[in-house]
Amino acid sequence: MTCTLGEVKNRADFMIYWGGNPAECHPRHFTKYSLTQKGKFTPKGRKDRTMVLVDIRETPSAKAADVFLQVRPGKDFELVTALRAIVKGQRVNEAAVAETGLPLEKLHELVAMMKAARFGIIFFGMGLSMTRGKHMNSAAVLMLAAEMNAFTKFVAMPMRGHGNVTGADVVMRYTTGYPFGVNLCRGYPRFNPGEFSTVDLLVRGDNDACLVLGADPGATMPQPAINHLARIPTITLDPKVTHTSRLSRVHITTAVTGVSAPGTAYRMDEIPLPLRPALKSPYPTDEEVVRRIREAVMRRPAWLPERNAEMVV
Amino acid sequence: MPLTIVKNATCTFCGCVCDDIELHADGIRITETKRACSLGESWFKNHTAEHLYPDALIDGHPATVDDAVEAAADYLLNADMPLVYGMSNITCEAQREAVSLAELVGAVVDSHTSL
Ligand code: SF4
Repeated sequence: MTCTLGEVKNRADFMIYWGGNPAECHPRHFTKYSLTQKGKFTPKGRKDRTMVLVDIRETPSAKAADVFLQVRPGKDFELVTALRAIVKGQRVNEAAVAETGLPLEKLHELVAMMKAARFGIIFFGMGLSMTRGKHMNSAAVLMLAAEMNAFTKFVAMPMRGHGNVTGADVVMRYTTGYPFGVNLCRGYPRFNPGEFSTVDLLVRGDNDACLVLGADPGATMPQPAINHLARIPTITLDPKVTHTSRLSRVHITTAVTGVSAPGTAYRMDEIPLPLRPALKSPYPTDEEVVRRIREAVMRRPAWLPERNAEMVV
Repeated sequence: MPLTIVKNATCTFCGCVCDDIELHADGIRITETKRACSLGESWFKNHTAEHLYPDALIDGHPATVDDAVEAAADYLLNADMPLVYGMSNITCEAQREAVSLAELVGAVVDSHTSL
């Protein structure tokens, strides 16, 4: 269950930021969408809202929070599960709660605040979804928000980083039916995270060519994955010559999205926004280059039967 | 170069995708970024319209875009299981093209979300 940032601005009187540091990673999130804006049902802005920050250490975002809860690293799932139990009025084991690094009273206080809210939201970041438990953590937070709806309006929203990564999810969803890690080798989409996700594929050495767009895995991926990218023909499209370009067989320089390339990008709440570039690039856009590669592929003879004639019985 | 002013420009540096930014540009570089935060400001100011990099590289040597496109098409078509990866710093239009290319060559297509 989620909503748009416009609804947050106008309605949310209670918000939890979990496993994220918006003050440094999404600097305008507080001021433009969530915390300090004056909205229709939150006319006093910051004064009408309560903000709780849950993180493993005290980041600069803690200064903006009314309550800061420091959870032990890797104990997010346990904490969410305890909260879910308390929300439902079930008994929880005090010793198990102590392992999260927070006393039981704190959790009771938090649940009381959540239930007192008119419109609550949990923003969850990479500190939750990329650490121990991964997507199970995200699923638990979504369940917590869903279950809170027995008491008041409550939603959850992931804090996405990296420009248009939300757009990638949306586009893959409406073109293939799945949000990421989609295997089209058999001509129809198959989805299985862990099997068809990039790091797993590359570490296993499954791929025999790679096209990299708008990313620099050569700087960010685990070393065995990078080694495999260097072994196979890699093609990189990027506005700069990146680490990945240096290990690629082909690099094509492209215009910068939003600065010199027009198009659409999705905000983290899945609102599409038009880009208004201020410069004219000497390079083609990613869109144009990918289209030209596709057209070049289409000019080639079909994969079957000529090339693999010996395979056809 | 005359000053161009773009009102309500969109910053794509982080997931906030702020669309209320006023950009001043002199044709080569962006000189002012009103309402952008410090991250957005450095993102806009770091990218210019100069021709700083070769159009394309094949095996590390400068090449034309046409040759690079043909080479890319050959590699992708000849592979049994190519991978199309990234997709986060490109437009939705480019993402659609990428999915369509992936379908044509029978590839796995994946984004940062899977990390
Ligand atoms: S201006 Fe700042 S907060 Fe807004 S999208 Fe750009 S980097 Fe993010």
